Amino acid sequence: MQYSSIFWWTMLWIVFWGVIGGIGTRRVYLRKDRDTSNATLGGSLIGAAFGPFGLAPLWWKSPEIGRVMITLSSLVVIGIIAVAFANADPENNCVSNGSFVASQITNGLIIGIIYGLMAMGLTLIFSILGIVSFAHGAFYMIGGMLVYYIVVVWFPGVHPLIGVLGSCSITFVLGALFERLFLTPMYDGRVERPVEYGILVTFGLSFTMTYLVAALAGFNPVKVKRFFDFPRIRLPDNSDPWLIKTSRGNMELFDTVSISNPRFIAAILSILVLLALLAFLHRTWTGKGLRAVSQDRDAAAITGINPNRMNMLAFALGCMVASLSGAVLVQAFSWLPIVGQIPEMRSFVIVVLGGLGSLPGAFVGGTLVGLVEAAGTGCVPNPQKASSYIPAYGMIILTLMLLLRPMGLFGRKFASGAHGKF
Amino acid sequence: MKRQNVPQLLGALIVAFFVAFPFVYTGGNYDYIMHICIIGFFYAILASSWSMLAGYAGQFSFGHMAFMGLGAYTTALFCHYFFISPEPTGICTEFAIGGQYLIVKNPIGVTSTTLTQDCLAQAMEKWNGTVEVTRMPVWLGIILGTIVGGIFGLLIGLLVLRLRAAYLALFTLGFSEILRATISAEIQITRGQAGLELPSLFENGITIAGHFFSKTDKIPPYFVMFFLLLGCLAVLYWLSQSRFGLFVRALREDQDAAAALGVNTTRYKVLVFVVTSSMAALAGTVYGHYVTIITPNNLMILQMSLVVAMAVIAGVENFIAAAIGAILIEFMLEMLRTSFSIGGVTVDMTLWRLVFFGVLLMLTLRFARNGLLVPVIDFFTRGHVAAETVALRAAQSGRGSDDPAEAASQETRT
Repeated sequence: MQYSSIFWWTMLWIVFWGVIGGIGTRRVYLRKDRDTSNATLGGSLIGAAFGPFGLAPLWWKSPEIGRVMITLSSLVVIGIIAVAFANADPENNCVSNGSFVASQITNGLIIGIIYGLMAMGLTLIFSILGIVSFAHGAFYMIGGMLVYYIVVVWFPGVHPLIGVLGSCSITFVLGALFERLFLTPMYDGRVERPVEYGILVTFGLSFTMTYLVAALAGFNPVKVKRFFDFPRIRLPDNSDPWLIKTSRGNMELFDTVSISNPRFIAAILSILVLLALLAFLHRTWTGKGLRAVSQDRDAAAITGINPNRMNMLAFALGCMVASLSGAVLVQAFSWLPIVGQIPEMRSFVIVVLGGLGSLPGAFVGGTLVGLVEAAGTGCVPNPQKASSYIPAYGMIILTLMLLLRPMGLFGRKFASGAHGKF
Repeated sequence: MKRQNVPQLLGALIVAFFVAFPFVYTGGNYDYIMHICIIGFFYAILASSWSMLAGYAGQFSFGHMAFMGLGAYTTALFCHYFFISPEPTGICTEFAIGGQYLIVKNPIGVTSTTLTQDCLAQAMEKWNGTVEVTRMPVWLGIILGTIVGGIFGLLIGLLVLRLRAAYLALFTLGFSEILRATISAEIQITRGQAGLELPSLFENGITIAGHFFSKTDKIPPYFVMFFLLLGCLAVLYWLSQSRFGLFVRALREDQDAAAALGVNTTRYKVLVFVVTSSMAALAGTVYGHYVTIITPNNLMILQMSLVVAMAVIAGVENFIAAAIGAILIEFMLEMLRTSFSIGGVTVDMTLWRLVFFGVLLMLTLRFARNGLLVPVIDFFTRGHVAAETVALRAAQSGRGSDDPAEAASQETRT
């Protein structure tokens, strides 16, 4: 960075007023007996965005902090950081090179959709069972591994989509079996602290599955060829294809944004699955039952829904969704038994950001995290440092979110079970 | 002999065994077995302090290994960058203290051109051996590491006051990952994945009772780690028997009820974090000085899962069980390392042992919720009391009184 002091002083200013706003606003609102549910997050954002000039009127008038205020001030914060960065490092690739920025944003969005899908499985499990599944990354890894084994080892020449379907059904059964065998004691009070039990037992499952796959398949990275080739498209015409230009493995839009085939296909498949999942949750009886159980377990039981069966279904579905995101990504990355760890952490970040148990929150959180990671990889001056810091960006978001608003952006307090406690 | 005296006796026997072990054992793999013992003690400190945090106080933290790493990295950085010299170098950052100079070496990262970049190496080249530069003492690094661990424990304890259960686990996991990423990324200072070298625990050897031990001898670090473990267990025992242990267990059962009954929940929640994390940091510093290298991989989630699994398999609600379990499991894991082949199929035990370990963890959680060792200990210590209620005893004695007060008074008389 050329003038790095500009950037760091700005950051210091933002953090300082953010902390003051976060702590002070809650105190002020408590003293004035106002609603404090948004006070910490809103106060720190307004403090970070406007400094003392925002906090003084906020503490004086103490209005209700709504969604508009939070969104606006967070946009201002992002703007300030962006401007400070642009001034500090004018020759950086993501300040001076517009097409690079467009490309990064597009790729961030695309990968964010896939992240969102994976996190959706986690949030589905949490909203019904009330536990955070630490085996999510292991299921992601198994999804990809199964596709590799089905398509390359066991039945060579079979269409990859059949491999994806096969891996989904196997992990669905695995998830259901695990839930029946290990999670049932949680529901009837046989375990003293169900949430911790759930975390530990899924942790054990993750450990077991990772090393089982490592022992069976070895530690050599495997990869599956891309599922589909792009058709050759040149628009508006062959000589001047500025609108869209495709080769078999790559697509170029507007002469600037290039998207690789595996990621594009993975995103399309993810969106399809997402729509199917939403349709299932909102249109079918079973899906409505699932959502009813997530809202109020006892009331759902009264109306004739069997909550325990819904638990099994939710866990199996969640595992299936995780394995599906692995299955569509196995064509984009090389696959190892430990490949699930980083996506698992990322899913934690996303569900906490969006709100544990909120389905749209998982999706929005996924795209946000995808964008942040794209910005992080593209903009940090030292590329070696940037790649080491990527997991940390998400975790900083996670810790901040847990401190400022533990229920997440779209979260709600749950009526039953262990959900409401945090 | 009474049944409830068995654990005390057994504990004394185990301690005596480990004290005598280095002197009576004469196998060919002496150093290897001693190494496993030391690592076992290290994990025992971590597992027992984690069981205090998770089992007694109910704070399921996944950041315990991060505190260990904090301690180890603090002392590593301290010993790596700070030196004392009687002469000023003129090129390093230095502070005059009395007649001596405290020299802070410049961070050069992982590089082969030490002489052109390292200011201390340049100065020593210039002095040509006339000036003796001394390292910082190891014990000071150990104390510093423990303090830093405690300070971070205080910070984390304050930050997680409002978080419970799953949120706490995620937050501590996040802290641990941020720390690991930072250490891996700041290659200039921490040397990243290459790892930071530490001086050995007794760099110049040590003479105990007329016998000289060189710095690679296993006996001094063995006893350091062993007495550290005993010290930690003693502190944990004292804490668990005092009001602290009572309050902390009340916190685990129901935080709101405990607060309503007058327990200062904030203070005890933070205190338990400070105590256990400084213990983890202390273990980390000694471990770092024993293995003489520390890398960010020591903070990985796999290491954390080992500690968690050791504590849970042995019994998370009893720190002594956790400590014994950690030593046993460490031995088991090492003994199972040898691969073998059946009918031409080689079984890679380095991986399969971890699979069995995971299955054991899951089965223990599912079917023996108190762990595998705690029921045994309970059988001897209070099996005759806890299992029998007052009413049950009254019914058994045949006097069959429905009045609990009368039964209770009989109980006290007998």
